[in-house]
This record gives sequence, structure tokens and C-alpha cells, in this order.
Amino acid sequence: MGADSRPSLAQLPRGHRFSPVSFRLSAGDARRYLEAVQDGNSAYFDDEGDLAWTPPMAAAAFTLKAVMDQARLPSGSLHAAQELEFRRPIPIDSQLAASAAVAQRSEMRGMAISVVEFEVSLSGTDEVAVIGRSTVMAPLEEESVG
Amino acid sequence: MAESGPPEIAPLERRVTQETINRYAEASGDFNPIHVDPEFARGSPFGGTIAHGMLVLAHVSDAMTAAFGRRWWQGGRLKVRFKGPARSGSTLSVAARPARSGERWEYAVAVTSGDETVVSGTAEVPPD
Repeated sequence: MGADSRPSLAQLPRGHRFSPVSFRLSAGDARRYLEAVQDGNSAYFDDEGDLAWTPPMAAAAFTLKAVMDQARLPSGSLHAAQELEFRRPIPIDSQLAASAAVAQRSEMRGMAISVVEFEVSLSGTDEVAVIGRSTVMAPLEEESVG
Repeated sequence: MAESGPPEIAPLERRVTQETINRYAEASGDFNPIHVDPEFARGSPFGGTIAHGMLVLAHVSDAMTAAFGRRWWQGGRLKVRFKGPARSGSTLSVAARPARSGERWEYAVAVTSGDETVVSGTAEVPPD
């Protein structure tokens, strides 16, 4: 098995820009998500009972996952805090584009405390749908896992 | 006429099981072993698997969507700290209590598991 060449989140400097992320949440993806989080709200559906709106938390979660996948999370990393702002509803099946960067970084007691800011927009527009700010604590010294 | 303030929000409860955690992992693509590998998680400081933080926040968003519908998606804000793990086998209680009214309605948000606080923070929504 090849070595993981991704940088550790703990080592990424303030100002590091992650590669842009692009994805689409289909009605099937959204339905699976809503079932998984047990969200039965009717607001996501149109008058015909079809899924019409992407759960904004799904857009945020998918973005955070795609961004964090660009770095290694050392064993012992913790999601410490989260800020989210929902700016506009996202029509289902929209192509979404996300950008992210390390906005802040500090060290304390052997841990790097990184704040990753991300923005999710409707692809090809400047219409921002979701803004997020995730605080992750990651050990500076890594234990090898597996 | 008296100005209406932030309405009460119905609390909700959600059971955390390995099945619900696995289902969220499938839906979100996040298979971090702390969530989906009981053997790995037994050796962690948590002593067992825990739910994803974003899964717990989805329950908060669920409560806000139930109260405000799409208005929650047009200016809603969440600002929380993860204070403790949402352990597999636990039941989460999600509460958002009116805290302040004005330009925006503010709620004090808490997700608890028994006596343990899992999430605490605030939610804001534009008023009517």
C-alpha cells in the first residue's frame, strides 16, 4: 500500500488554499441524506411531493468532507467548533462550487488549532449559498494508524 | 400592537445507534473509523464509536427548519462548540430556546445526552 502523500492538516499554514471543489447533490443523494439524519421536514419538497431543495446541511457536510479529504487528519483530531450561515436555498440537483482556506492557525499543548473557512456557491454564479467556518484540533505529532 | 418575538421551537430527540451512524457515513462519504469502526473506537479516548459532528448539527438544523421552513435557509446562522461526544447507544435531546429578539432572532442551542452537553451555541434567524 502506498504512503499517504497528503499533508497533515496540523501542518497547513494560515492562508493555505485548498483546491476548489465541485459537486452535485442529486435527489437520490438528498433523499439518502435526509433519511440518514432523520429529517422529515416537508420544506424540501414541492407541491407535487418531489424533492425540490437541497438540504443546506448536506451541502455543508459534503463540502467539509471534500475539503478535509485534501489533508490527512491525524489520529486524535477533533472537530471542535462549527459556524454556518445559510444565504439562499439551493435547488435540488444544482452544480455546486466550493472554495476553502485555512483562515487561522495556532498551537497549544501539542495540538494545532486550525480554522477552515469555506464558501459554497451555485456553480458559474456568484450566488453564495452556504458559508462555513470549521475549527479542527489536530495533534502536531502523528501516531501511525494501521 | 405588540411586536412578536422569536417563537418557541419544538425540541426533538434522536437516538444514536451504530446503524444511524453508518447510514450517515454512507450518505456523507465520511468513514472516519472513530465513527464506523467499533474496534478502532474502543481504543480511542471515547471508548466507542461516536456520531459525526455534522450529523448532530443536522438535528439542530432539522428543528430550525421545522420552525421556520425555507426562511432558515435564507439568512439562518449557527455558531456552536462541540463539547462532548454523541456516543453510539445514546439519545440526543435538541433544544433551541429564545434568547434575544431584534434585527435577528437569536436562540440558545443545546444538544445534550443525559447530563452531558454535546453541543452548545447559538442559532439566529431573520425575523418575520
